[in-house]
Amino acid sequence: MLEVIDASRRYEVAGRTVLALDGVTQRFPVGTITAIVGRSGCGKTTLLRLLAGLAEPSSGAVRRAPAAGIGVVFQEARLMPWLDAAANVAFPLKGRLGRAEIDARVDEALALVGLADARRALPAQLSGGMAQRVAIARALAQRPDVLLLDEPFSALDAFTRRTLQRVLVDVWQARRPTVVLVTHDVEEAVLLGESVLELEAGRVVGRVAVDLPFPREATDPAVVELRRRILARLVGEPHSDPRRKPCT
Amino acid sequence: MPARRALTPVAVFASVVLVWWLAGRLGWTNAYLLPAPKAVVAALTDLAASGALVKHALTSIQRVLLGFALSTALAVPLAVLLSASRPARTVIDPLLEFVRQVPPLALIPLLILWLGIGEAQKLGIIVLASFFPVFLGLRGGIAGVDPRLIEVGRVAGLSRRDILTRIVLPSALPELVVGLRISLGYSWRALVGAELIASSAGLGYMIIDAENLARTDIVLAGILVIGILGLLSDLLLRRLIGHAFPWLSADLEAARA
Repeated sequence: MLEVIDASRRYEVAGRTVLALDGVTQRFPVGTITAIVGRSGCGKTTLLRLLAGLAEPSSGAVRRAPAAGIGVVFQEARLMPWLDAAANVAFPLKGRLGRAEIDARVDEALALVGLADARRALPAQLSGGMAQRVAIARALAQRPDVLLLDEPFSALDAFTRRTLQRVLVDVWQARRPTVVLVTHDVEEAVLLGESVLELEAGRVVGRVAVDLPFPREATDPAVVELRRRILARLVGEPHSDPRRKPCT
Repeated sequence: MPARRALTPVAVFASVVLVWWLAGRLGWTNAYLLPAPKAVVAALTDLAASGALVKHALTSIQRVLLGFALSTALAVPLAVLLSASRPARTVIDPLLEFVRQVPPLALIPLLILWLGIGEAQKLGIIVLASFFPVFLGLRGGIAGVDPRLIEVGRVAGLSRRDILTRIVLPSALPELVVGLRISLGYSWRALVGAELIASSAGLGYMIIDAENLARTDIVLAGILVIGILGLLSDLLLRRLIGHAFPWLSADLEAARA
């Protein structure tokens, strides 16, 4: 179970109140993969932070299965600079699992992101994309019930991005965690989401079910068509509803 | 060019000695006010041969190590406590701020009355002088921890204690290390000051005793030894830190590359 109920979130920015999330009600059924798209500043990250328990809603509620293990991949790698790649991946597991189990999971996760050879590398020695892959491995090694990803692939080159999108689908199909993926890349949303939520000015303004089998190809006409429709809505005419102001 | 980098400081020191030697040779300076390098080396040799140099140096080194260890053992837990607890901060911070403003040497008269002129008084001076760089360094390091790293710990379900030991303290380490290095230097300076005022052994005593005997060559020899020991202890501390926390130096290498 993962859901937000009429959740709003206000921030004070320079004495001004900003409504980052405006009464969102949304269920994320167990074992599904949901993509959230929208422009920068439309509340995507805020919604993800509520789901992760890193922020509390100003009003409304967030419900999460109490014992659920949560893995988060942030927009930035957020690696501990004093730990090498393997120790960073092991970081959330330490003290919870036996040494052998941790080692096995670290090896597996680093191999999944293609960094089996970088075990001993310190974050300062990794490129931005490599660091982000270590961060993805760190979340995967937890084998979480809920996997929350905030633009996880945007720092990666196009080829690596495509590879890791496939890895995500494989992991999801193998273990069926509940996945919520925030992205500004509509194509990525259509390739990975069973459904795509459109967020605008802190509200969910659309929900598209993507009824295509995995793995999906960007060149598939059905993918292209869905992508075109979602893009047209997000960048199209401003909505007549005055509360749906375009984001700035 | 690692060889050239290592040679530069040697060349700088050699030039200073050369100017010093020339100044005496050409009669720019009075041999009593500034004895020639040769006289200082002779004094050093005599002191070393009589065993006095080793005795005084060992006394001072022992005091510095003990005082430095004591002040680190006080400063680290107190910095952690004050960073973690607002009530502790409210009560203790103003007091510490007050003590910090008072130069340790100004407290020597009181310390002599309270602790006598023995080892306790010297340790007291060293602790007062070297406490704050470690304390403030660690406080600053803790305050500067990247909150985004703490979020990684929160998502992983770490306890407050685990977040402190596994994220906050390692993050604060670079600034703690800077504090330790400053503090070790301060320890030396404060100790020599204390030994100048009331002591019967140590390098500071050796210098003041030589002054009373009008032996400026020994005074200079003492200054030289203090400087060299200070440099060596800093080098040793840096080596120790580089060995214990390789990522600190790896960071530097990556930045250089």
